[in-house]
Amino acid sequence: MDACSPFELEVARLLVETLHLEDIKPEDIAPEEPLFNDGLGLDSIDALELALAISKTYGFQLRSDDQQNRQVFASLRALSQHIALNRVR
Amino acid sequence: MSQSWMKLPERSNTLALWLIRTIALHIGRPAGRALLYPITLYFLLTAGEARRGSRRFLRRALGREPTGREVFRHIHSFAATILDRVYFLTGQLARFKIEIHGGQRILDQAASGRGCILLGSHLGSFEALRALGVHRHHLPIRILMNTGHNQLMTRLLNALNPALAQSIIPVGGPETLLKVQESVEQGCLVGVLGDRAASGEKIVRCRFFGEEVDFPAAPLVMAALAGCPVILFFGLYLGGNRYQVHFEPLAERIVLDRRQRQEQLGVWVQRYADRLEHYTRLAPYNWFNFYDYWREDGP
Repeated sequence: MDACSPFELEVARLLVETLHLEDIKPEDIAPEEPLFNDGLGLDSIDALELALAISKTYGFQLRSDDQQNRQVFASLRALSQHIALNRVR
Repeated sequence: MSQSWMKLPERSNTLALWLIRTIALHIGRPAGRALLYPITLYFLLTAGEARRGSRRFLRRALGREPTGREVFRHIHSFAATILDRVYFLTGQLARFKIEIHGGQRILDQAASGRGCILLGSHLGSFEALRALGVHRHHLPIRILMNTGHNQLMTRLLNALNPALAQSIIPVGGPETLLKVQESVEQGCLVGVLGDRAASGEKIVRCRFFGEEVDFPAAPLVMAALAGCPVILFFGLYLGGNRYQVHFEPLAERIVLDRRQRQEQLGVWVQRYADRLEHYTRLAPYNWFNFYDYWREDGP
Protein backbone atom coordinates (compact mmCIF):
# COMPACT_ATOMS: atom_id res chain seq x y z
CA MET A 1 0.00 0.00 0.00
CA ASP A 2 1.11 3.53 -0.85
CA ALA A 3 2.10 5.97 1.84
CA CYS A 4 0.51 9.42 1.98
CA SER A 5 2.37 12.43 0.62
CA PRO A 6 2.80 15.26 3.16
CA PHE A 7 -0.03 17.22 1.54
CA GLU A 8 -2.34 14.21 1.56
CA LEU A 9 -1.61 13.86 5.24
CA GLU A 10 -2.54 17.52 5.75
CA VAL A 11 -5.86 16.98 3.96
CA ALA A 12 -6.41 13.80 5.99
CA ARG A 13 -5.94 15.85 9.15
CA LEU A 14 -8.49 18.41 7.98
CA LEU A 15 -10.88 15.57 7.21
CA VAL A 16 -10.51 13.88 10.59
CA GLU A 17 -10.77 17.20 12.44
CA THR A 18 -13.75 18.52 10.50
CA LEU A 19 -15.74 15.33 10.75
CA HIS A 20 -14.59 14.44 14.27
CA LEU A 21 -13.72 10.92 13.22
CA GLU A 22 -12.77 9.87 16.70
CA ASP A 23 -11.49 6.39 16.06
CA ILE A 24 -9.51 7.22 12.91
CA LYS A 25 -6.03 8.72 12.77
CA PRO A 26 -5.09 10.81 9.72
CA GLU A 27 -2.20 8.50 8.93
CA ASP A 28 -4.57 5.50 8.94
CA ILE A 29 -6.43 6.71 5.87
CA ALA A 30 -5.18 4.90 2.79
CA PRO A 31 -4.82 7.45 -0.02
CA GLU A 32 -6.65 5.36 -2.60
CA GLU A 33 -9.41 4.13 -0.30
CA PRO A 34 -12.92 5.34 -1.19
CA LEU A 35 -14.09 8.10 1.16
CA PHE A 36 -17.82 7.62 0.68
CA ASN A 37 -20.10 4.63 1.11
CA ASP A 38 -17.72 1.68 1.41
CA GLY A 39 -14.27 2.56 2.58
CA LEU A 40 -14.36 5.38 5.08
CA GLY A 41 -18.16 5.44 5.02
CA LEU A 42 -18.72 9.19 4.72
CA ASP A 43 -22.09 10.50 3.56
CA SER A 44 -23.57 13.54 1.93
CA ILE A 45 -23.65 15.53 5.21
CA ASP A 46 -19.93 14.85 5.63
CA ALA A 47 -19.31 15.99 2.06
CA LEU A 48 -21.06 19.29 2.77
CA GLU A 49 -19.08 19.83 5.98
CA LEU A 50 -15.89 18.93 4.19
CA ALA A 51 -16.68 21.33 1.36
CA LEU A 52 -17.24 24.15 3.87
CA ALA A 53 -13.98 23.36 5.67
CA ILE A 54 -12.06 23.23 2.38
CA SER A 55 -13.45 26.60 1.38
CA LYS A 56 -12.39 28.09 4.73
CA THR A 57 -8.92 26.57 4.67
CA TYR A 58 -7.99 26.73 0.98
CA GLY A 59 -10.19 29.60 -0.18
CA PHE A 60 -12.11 27.96 -3.01
CA GLN A 61 -15.58 26.48 -3.37
CA LEU A 62 -16.33 22.92 -4.36
CA ARG A 63 -19.31 23.15 -6.67
CA SER A 64 -22.01 20.52 -6.85
CA ASP A 65 -22.27 20.82 -10.64
CA ASP A 66 -18.59 20.14 -11.07
CA GLN A 67 -18.42 17.31 -13.60
CA GLN A 68 -15.49 15.83 -11.72
CA ASN A 69 -17.24 15.75 -8.39
CA ARG A 70 -17.52 12.02 -8.09
CA GLN A 71 -13.83 11.72 -8.85
CA VAL A 72 -12.98 14.55 -6.46
CA PHE A 73 -14.67 12.77 -3.58
CA ALA A 74 -13.46 9.34 -4.70
CA SER A 75 -10.40 9.13 -2.46
CA LEU A 76 -8.05 11.13 -0.29
CA ARG A 77 -5.59 11.22 -3.19
CA ALA A 78 -8.16 12.57 -5.67
CA LEU A 79 -9.41 15.13 -3.17
CA SER A 80 -5.88 16.30 -2.36
CA GLN A 81 -5.04 16.67 -6.05
CA HIS A 82 -8.20 18.68 -6.63
CA ILE A 83 -7.37 20.98 -3.69
CA ALA A 84 -3.77 21.39 -4.86
CA LEU A 85 -4.99 22.45 -8.29
CA ASN A 86 -7.66 24.87 -7.12
CA ARG A 87 -6.43 26.33 -3.84
CA VAL A 88 -5.96 30.07 -3.63
CA ARG A 89 -4.30 30.01 -0.22
CA MET B 1 -33.05 0.60 9.10
CA SER B 2 -36.16 -0.56 7.38
CA GLN B 3 -35.83 -0.24 3.65
CA SER B 4 -39.16 -1.72 2.83
CA TRP B 5 -40.59 1.53 1.54
CA MET B 6 -37.97 1.46 -1.17
CA LYS B 7 -38.90 -2.05 -2.10
CA LEU B 8 -42.64 -1.48 -2.23
CA PRO B 9 -43.72 -2.70 -5.60
CA GLU B 10 -43.70 -0.01 -8.23
CA ARG B 11 -44.74 -2.58 -10.81
CA SER B 12 -48.36 -2.79 -9.74
CA ASN B 13 -48.50 0.98 -9.91
CA THR B 14 -47.34 1.10 -13.52
CA LEU B 15 -50.70 0.40 -15.05
CA ALA B 16 -52.57 2.36 -12.41
CA LEU B 17 -50.42 5.45 -12.86
CA TRP B 18 -50.66 5.36 -16.62
CA LEU B 19 -54.41 5.01 -16.27
CA ILE B 20 -54.61 7.84 -13.81
CA ARG B 21 -52.66 10.18 -16.05
CA THR B 22 -54.60 9.33 -19.19
CA ILE B 23 -57.91 9.62 -17.45
CA ALA B 24 -56.97 12.80 -15.62
CA LEU B 25 -55.89 14.65 -18.73
CA HIS B 26 -58.25 13.23 -21.34
CA ILE B 27 -61.42 12.21 -19.58
CA GLY B 28 -61.60 14.55 -16.62
CA ARG B 29 -61.57 14.58 -12.85
CA PRO B 30 -65.11 13.28 -12.16
CA ALA B 31 -64.49 10.16 -14.29
CA GLY B 32 -61.01 9.86 -12.82
CA ARG B 33 -62.39 9.98 -9.32
CA ALA B 34 -65.00 7.36 -10.14
CA LEU B 35 -62.24 5.10 -11.40
CA LEU B 36 -60.30 5.52 -8.18
CA TYR B 37 -62.68 3.05 -6.55
CA PRO B 38 -61.76 0.04 -8.71
CA ILE B 39 -58.11 1.15 -8.66
CA THR B 40 -58.15 1.29 -4.86
CA LEU B 41 -59.78 -2.11 -4.73
CA TYR B 42 -57.09 -3.48 -7.02
CA PHE B 43 -54.40 -2.07 -4.73
CA LEU B 44 -56.14 -3.41 -1.68
CA LEU B 45 -56.18 -6.90 -3.15
CA THR B 46 -52.69 -6.98 -4.65
CA ALA B 47 -50.49 -4.78 -2.46
CA GLY B 48 -50.35 -6.84 0.72
CA GLU B 49 -47.53 -4.92 2.31
CA ALA B 50 -49.23 -1.55 1.78
CA ARG B 51 -52.47 -2.96 3.18
CA ARG B 52 -50.73 -4.28 6.28
CA GLY B 53 -48.88 -0.97 6.66
CA SER B 54 -52.16 0.90 6.51
CA ARG B 55 -53.79 -1.39 9.04
CA ARG B 56 -50.89 -1.04 11.46
CA PHE B 57 -50.87 2.72 11.21
CA LEU B 58 -54.65 3.07 11.58
CA ARG B 59 -54.63 0.78 14.61
CA ARG B 60 -52.14 3.14 16.21
CA ALA B 61 -53.85 6.37 15.13
CA LEU B 62 -57.42 5.32 15.91
CA GLY B 63 -56.53 3.34 19.04
CA ARG B 64 -58.53 0.31 17.90
CA GLU B 65 -58.65 -2.27 15.14
CA PRO B 66 -59.54 -0.47 11.87
CA THR B 67 -62.38 -1.74 9.72
CA GLY B 68 -61.89 -2.83 6.12
CA ARG B 69 -63.73 0.30 5.06
CA GLU B 70 -61.21 2.47 6.91
CA VAL B 71 -58.27 0.74 5.24
CA PHE B 72 -60.03 1.26 1.91
CA ARG B 73 -60.53 4.92 2.70
CA HIS B 74 -56.84 5.28 3.58
CA ILE B 75 -55.62 3.83 0.29
CA HIS B 76 -58.32 5.69 -1.62
CA SER B 77 -57.15 8.96 -0.15
CA PHE B 78 -53.61 8.21 -1.36
CA ALA B 79 -54.87 7.39 -4.85
CA ALA B 80 -56.92 10.59 -4.91
CA THR B 81 -53.87 12.74 -4.20
CA ILE B 82 -51.95 10.99 -6.99
CA LEU B 83 -54.75 11.79 -9.41
CA ASP B 84 -54.72 15.39 -8.25
CA ARG B 85 -50.97 15.57 -8.72
CA VAL B 86 -51.58 15.46 -12.44
CA TYR B 87 -53.67 18.63 -12.14
CA PHE B 88 -51.29 20.34 -9.78
CA LEU B 89 -48.34 19.54 -12.04
CA THR B 90 -50.11 20.99 -15.03
CA GLY B 91 -51.02 24.14 -13.12
CA GLN B 92 -54.75 23.51 -12.94
CA LEU B 93 -55.20 25.10 -9.55
CA ALA B 94 -58.64 26.61 -10.18
CA ARG B 95 -60.20 23.17 -9.71
CA PHE B 96 -59.29 23.12 -6.05
CA LYS B 97 -60.25 24.86 -2.86
CA ILE B 98 -56.97 25.32 -1.06
CA GLU B 99 -57.02 26.82 2.38
CA ILE B 100 -53.65 28.27 3.39
CA HIS B 101 -52.45 28.86 6.95
CA GLY B 102 -49.30 30.84 7.62
CA GLY B 103 -48.68 31.52 3.92
CA GLN B 104 -47.43 35.04 4.50
CA ARG B 105 -44.36 33.56 6.14
CA ILE B 106 -43.32 31.85 2.92
CA LEU B 107 -43.97 34.96 0.84
CA ASP B 108 -41.92 37.04 3.27
CA GLN B 109 -39.12 34.49 3.20
CA ALA B 110 -39.04 34.43 -0.60
CA ALA B 111 -39.22 38.24 -0.76
CA SER B 112 -36.25 38.51 1.59
CA GLY B 113 -34.11 36.78 -1.05
CA ARG B 114 -32.79 34.41 1.61
CA GLY B 115 -33.32 30.77 1.04
CA CYS B 116 -34.66 28.33 3.59
CA ILE B 117 -35.40 24.69 4.20
CA LEU B 118 -39.06 23.75 3.84
CA LEU B 119 -39.40 20.67 5.98
CA GLY B 120 -42.31 18.42 5.10
CA SER B 121 -43.26 14.76 5.27
CA HIS B 122 -45.15 11.97 3.56
CA LEU B 123 -48.31 13.21 5.22
CA GLY B 124 -50.68 14.37 2.50
CA SER B 125 -49.53 16.07 -0.66
CA PHE B 126 -46.49 18.26 -1.11
CA GLU B 127 -47.60 18.80 -4.68
CA ALA B 128 -50.37 21.14 -3.51
CA LEU B 129 -47.75 23.34 -1.90
CA ARG B 130 -45.37 23.22 -4.83
CA ALA B 131 -48.17 24.03 -7.27
CA LEU B 132 -49.29 27.01 -5.22
CA GLY B 133 -45.76 28.31 -4.84
CA VAL B 134 -44.64 27.79 -8.40
CA HIS B 135 -47.77 28.52 -10.42
CA ARG B 136 -49.46 31.17 -8.33
CA HIS B 137 -46.59 33.01 -6.67
CA HIS B 138 -43.62 32.08 -8.88
CA LEU B 139 -41.53 31.18 -5.88
CA PRO B 140 -38.12 29.58 -6.41
CA ILE B 141 -39.02 26.18 -4.94
CA ARG B 142 -36.82 23.13 -5.37
CA ILE B 143 -37.55 19.71 -3.92
CA LEU B 144 -34.96 17.22 -2.74
CA MET B 145 -36.30 13.91 -3.93
CA ASN B 146 -35.31 10.30 -4.14
CA THR B 147 -35.88 9.92 -7.87
CA GLY B 148 -34.27 6.50 -8.00
CA HIS B 149 -36.79 4.54 -5.99
CA ASN B 150 -39.77 6.25 -7.56
CA GLN B 151 -38.93 6.17 -11.22
CA LEU B 152 -42.50 6.04 -12.33
CA MET B 153 -43.40 9.26 -10.57
CA THR B 154 -40.25 10.78 -12.00
CA ARG B 155 -41.27 9.77 -15.50
CA LEU B 156 -44.76 11.13 -14.93
CA LEU B 157 -43.33 14.42 -13.74
CA ASN B 158 -40.97 14.62 -16.72
CA ALA B 159 -43.83 14.04 -19.09
CA LEU B 160 -46.20 16.53 -17.49
CA ASN B 161 -43.91 19.37 -16.53
CA PRO B 162 -40.30 19.15 -17.68
CA ALA B 163 -39.44 22.58 -16.24
CA LEU B 164 -40.55 21.50 -12.80
CA ALA B 165 -38.71 18.19 -13.19
CA GLN B 166 -35.54 20.22 -13.76
CA SER B 167 -35.98 21.94 -10.42
CA ILE B 168 -35.76 18.66 -8.51
CA ILE B 169 -32.56 17.94 -6.64
CA PRO B 170 -32.07 14.18 -6.85
CA VAL B 171 -30.82 12.35 -3.77
CA GLY B 172 -27.63 10.40 -4.33
CA GLY B 173 -23.91 10.98 -4.38
CA PRO B 174 -21.74 13.00 -2.01
CA GLU B 175 -22.60 16.26 -3.80
CA THR B 176 -26.34 16.11 -3.01
CA LEU B 177 -26.30 18.38 0.04
CA LEU B 178 -23.76 20.67 -1.55
CA LYS B 179 -26.38 21.26 -4.22
CA VAL B 180 -28.99 21.97 -1.56
CA GLN B 181 -26.69 24.43 0.15
CA GLU B 182 -25.98 26.25 -3.12
CA SER B 183 -29.69 26.45 -3.87
CA VAL B 184 -30.40 27.93 -0.43
CA GLU B 185 -27.59 30.43 -1.00
CA GLN B 186 -29.21 31.45 -4.27
CA GLY B 187 -32.41 32.20 -2.40
CA CYS B 188 -34.32 29.00 -3.15
CA LEU B 189 -36.86 27.47 -0.81
CA VAL B 190 -35.72 23.86 -0.71
CA GLY B 191 -38.37 21.30 0.18
CA VAL B 192 -37.22 18.19 2.03
CA LEU B 193 -39.33 15.37 3.42
CA GLY B 194 -38.01 14.56 6.88
CA ASP B 195 -39.91 11.47 7.97
CA ARG B 196 -38.03 8.66 6.21
CA ALA B 197 -34.42 7.78 6.91
CA ALA B 198 -32.55 5.75 4.32
CA SER B 199 -30.18 2.95 5.22
CA GLY B 200 -26.82 4.10 6.56
CA GLU B 201 -28.04 7.68 6.91
CA LYS B 202 -27.35 9.64 10.13
CA ILE B 203 -30.41 9.42 12.30
CA VAL B 204 -32.02 10.97 15.35
CA ARG B 205 -34.29 8.89 17.56
CA CYS B 206 -37.50 10.64 18.57
CA ARG B 207 -40.78 9.76 20.15
CA PHE B 208 -43.58 9.57 17.64
CA PHE B 209 -47.03 8.20 18.47
CA GLY B 210 -45.65 6.95 21.77
CA GLU B 211 -42.68 5.03 20.42
CA GLU B 212 -39.14 5.65 19.28
CA VAL B 213 -38.67 6.17 15.57
CA ASP B 214 -35.54 6.96 13.54
CA PHE B 215 -35.78 10.28 11.76
CA PRO B 216 -33.12 11.49 9.32
CA ALA B 217 -30.69 14.06 10.74
CA ALA B 218 -29.75 15.50 7.34
CA PRO B 219 -32.47 18.15 6.87
CA LEU B 220 -31.64 19.97 10.10
CA VAL B 221 -27.87 19.48 9.91
CA MET B 222 -28.12 20.96 6.44
CA ALA B 223 -30.05 23.96 7.74
CA ALA B 224 -27.47 24.41 10.49
CA LEU B 225 -24.58 24.31 8.03
CA ALA B 226 -26.33 26.66 5.62
CA GLY B 227 -27.32 28.95 8.51
CA CYS B 228 -30.84 29.29 7.13
CA PRO B 229 -34.34 29.17 8.64
CA VAL B 230 -36.47 26.04 8.70
CA ILE B 231 -40.17 26.30 7.95
CA LEU B 232 -42.44 23.29 8.42
CA PHE B 233 -45.15 22.57 5.88
CA PHE B 234 -48.07 20.18 5.77
CA GLY B 235 -50.34 19.75 2.74
CA LEU B 236 -53.44 17.93 3.91
CA TYR B 237 -56.04 16.45 1.61
CA LEU B 238 -59.49 16.91 3.11
CA GLY B 239 -61.54 15.01 0.53
CA GLY B 240 -63.40 16.17 -2.55
CA ASN B 241 -61.45 19.06 -4.05
CA ARG B 242 -60.31 20.50 -0.73
CA TYR B 243 -56.76 20.87 0.48
CA GLN B 244 -55.32 22.64 3.47
CA VAL B 245 -51.72 23.84 3.53
CA HIS B 246 -50.02 24.78 6.78
CA PHE B 247 -46.73 26.62 7.27
CA GLU B 248 -45.08 26.94 10.66
CA PRO B 249 -41.68 28.28 11.58
CA LEU B 250 -39.45 25.70 13.25
CA ALA B 251 -36.23 27.68 13.65
CA GLU B 252 -34.86 31.00 12.47
CA ARG B 253 -31.44 29.45 12.73
CA ILE B 254 -30.17 26.14 14.05
CA VAL B 255 -26.87 26.28 15.87
CA LEU B 256 -25.17 22.98 16.60
CA ASP B 257 -22.22 22.53 18.84
CA ARG B 258 -20.02 19.64 17.78
CA ARG B 259 -19.85 17.98 21.17
CA GLN B 260 -23.56 18.20 21.90
CA ARG B 261 -24.72 17.89 18.36
CA GLN B 262 -26.77 14.72 18.78
CA GLU B 263 -28.63 16.08 21.85
CA GLN B 264 -29.29 19.45 20.21
CA LEU B 265 -30.50 17.78 17.03
CA GLY B 266 -32.72 15.59 19.18
CA VAL B 267 -34.52 18.66 20.51
CA TRP B 268 -35.19 20.10 17.04
CA VAL B 269 -36.18 16.84 15.41
CA GLN B 270 -38.49 16.08 18.33
CA ARG B 271 -40.26 19.40 17.69
CA TYR B 272 -40.71 18.40 14.08
CA ALA B 273 -41.97 14.95 15.13
CA ASP B 274 -44.45 16.55 17.55
CA ARG B 275 -45.91 18.80 14.86
CA LEU B 276 -46.02 15.88 12.44
CA GLU B 277 -47.91 13.84 15.03
CA HIS B 278 -50.29 16.76 15.60
CA TYR B 279 -51.20 17.01 11.91
CA THR B 280 -51.23 13.24 11.46
CA ARG B 281 -53.84 13.01 14.21
CA LEU B 282 -55.84 15.78 12.52
CA ALA B 283 -55.80 13.98 9.18
CA PRO B 284 -54.85 10.32 9.71
CA TYR B 285 -55.92 9.23 6.22
CA ASN B 286 -53.15 11.45 4.87
CA TRP B 287 -50.42 9.23 6.31
CA PHE B 288 -48.73 7.94 3.17
CA ASN B 289 -46.03 5.76 4.66
CA PHE B 290 -47.53 2.41 3.78
CA TYR B 291 -44.92 0.19 5.38
CA ASP B 292 -43.86 -1.09 8.79
CA TYR B 293 -43.01 2.42 10.01
CA TRP B 294 -42.68 1.59 13.69
CA ARG B 295 -40.83 -1.62 12.88
CA GLU B 296 -43.28 -3.82 14.70
CA ASP B 297 -41.64 -6.78 12.97
CA GLY B 298 -38.25 -5.84 14.44
CA PRO B 299 -35.34 -4.19 12.63
